Amino acid sequence: MPKRKLDPLPSAAFQILLALTGDDLHGYGIMREVAEQTDGRMRLGPGTLYSSIQTLLEAGLIEQLDQRETAKSGQERRRYYRLTAAGRKLARSEADRLADLLRVARAKKILRGEYV
Amino acid sequence: MSEKIYAWLLRLYPPHFRENYGDEALQLLRDRARDETGFFRTLRLWLDLLTDLVISIPREYRSVRPSLGAAVQRVGGGPTFFVLEDGSIRLRGFVFGGILSLAVLAMVFGLLLHAGGQRTVRASTHRELTSSSLRSYASASATAQNAEDSIPESVAYGSTPPVVPLPQLDPLPATVPQSEEQSPTVAGVPAASGAAPLDAAERQRVIDGVVTNLKRFYFDREVARKIADSLLAHEKNGDDKAATGGEAFASLVTAQMRDASNDAHLELEYSEDSLPVAPPVETPDSLEGFRQRILQQNCMIRRAEILPHNVGYLKIDFFPDVSVCGASAKAAMAALNNADAIIFDLRDNTGGFENMVALIASYLFDHPEYLYSPRGAPTEESWTRSPVPGSRLANKPVYVLTSSATWSGAEQFSYDLKQLKRATLIGETTRGGAHAGAFHRIDDHFGMGIPEEKAINPFGKADWEGVGVEPDIKVKATDALETARKLAESKLHGN
Repeated sequence: MPKRKLDPLPSAAFQILLALTGDDLHGYGIMREVAEQTDGRMRLGPGTLYSSIQTLLEAGLIEQLDQRETAKSGQERRRYYRLTAAGRKLARSEADRLADLLRVARAKKILRGEYV
Repeated sequence: MSEKIYAWLLRLYPPHFRENYGDEALQLLRDRARDETGFFRTLRLWLDLLTDLVISIPREYRSVRPSLGAAVQRVGGGPTFFVLEDGSIRLRGFVFGGILSLAVLAMVFGLLLHAGGQRTVRASTHRELTSSSLRSYASASATAQNAEDSIPESVAYGSTPPVVPLPQLDPLPATVPQSEEQSPTVAGVPAASGAAPLDAAERQRVIDGVVTNLKRFYFDREVARKIADSLLAHEKNGDDKAATGGEAFASLVTAQMRDASNDAHLELEYSEDSLPVAPPVETPDSLEGFRQRILQQNCMIRRAEILPHNVGYLKIDFFPDVSVCGASAKAAMAALNNADAIIFDLRDNTGGFENMVALIASYLFDHPEYLYSPRGAPTEESWTRSPVPGSRLANKPVYVLTSSATWSGAEQFSYDLKQLKRATLIGETTRGGAHAGAFHRIDDHFGMGIPEEKAINPFGKADWEGVGVEPDIKVKATDALETARKLAESKLHGN
């Protein structure tokens, strides 16, 4: 299976990395966290979510934890995901890149008012 | 309910995705359905799901596609294929595939039987005396369209390119593009309408057209006169009367011409549809299409491998133009470079371009050798480009496998290597097609193929037209490979 490119990092993948900087989460947890951190603008559907997760797993940016029982329901077994060191590093460099971009945008004065 | 629909929609994803994440995706839907209640939120949920499907399904499939592209570009080695699915194929798939293959096979046979090869000859033999190799692609492109990997006889005849235009020897304006002007058209002949029987006058007109064309274009004037006399005699004796249909008349005259000349490239053709006055137009698209098809066929290089005892084996079924397939051929020869002996399997080879014949032969000599071709006077390409830098094959034993189907350019390869005492030919006497033909229009329904050029044979013999190239060791074509392997092995171990 050929590796999907993470360069440039797709925004969905970046959001997932950001979502996992805190707790380890399962799929639905990631989706809710992403929705929260984007004020509900990005709601990852299952297809996008899991294909991104697969890519990130293959690239070693996140890792899958053993299935464990959730507090809510003893029946449901879910897979949890955790950010790896490499993933954290990539998220940071992506954030730096965006910050650089923001600096350029400010220099070009396309941002207005108090955001500058 | 919605869960069932989504479970069904999940089948649209590739199997490896479903296997890994199908359950989790369903779980996610359950979670959201539980948390997001109410009409508006449910609607939003489904909008999200559908958008997601549209976006992510193509991405999932795209992620496996690049391996396909790589398969096509691979050169040198044998045919390659990649498996897209990880799971094993189900019984149902085998049954369905079997039925589909049978249906396609039946359709191909039906087309071959009913459409016939004749049309393609006409489409592909229109002669422009320009030596552009582009011109030859199109004729061969009719070939590639006609059958995926076998080049039928009639088309191979058409696709033998007019390699040497011989402008200096040709008394006619060699660059006149219109066949109308090249071939004396029978003036004012009313189109012999399709099924209408030919009357004596119509037959007379066609014979006259044939005779005029022969005398004007056939490379050997003596033989042309002989054929003409024979045709006129047949007509006078009333031998042609029986043939009232155009088709029957054409094949009768063809037989008479071949009988008088022993030249199998002479041909009279009949077409129910009106023959085009100008040669078919070649567009860049059709040429590009041909390039793609021939490249997908790995340039007709079927196998290039090292057999036991380090004997190289190259099976090639056509000699495609160097400008398209040069790289593939070089890669194949490079793969065999370290062999101690080499076997060329031309048993299914239907000919092709002389520049490819010369390219492959170049590896076998340590100095330039003249490769005789009966099609025309020597050109720069008639000499091999030997020595090929890095080639270790120049002094290795060479075996060429032939069959009764080996034809045209493949016979040139066999003949020259045999005459130069560079190869041992093993198999059957080849089919005997030496001359290239050009198409000349006679009237709306009749046209003919005439070989126009012939070069002096340095080996001082008749070429292989009509008689074929005799192998050094005669065995059945099916046994030729085994014989060659044994010979190569005993030679290598004897030394």
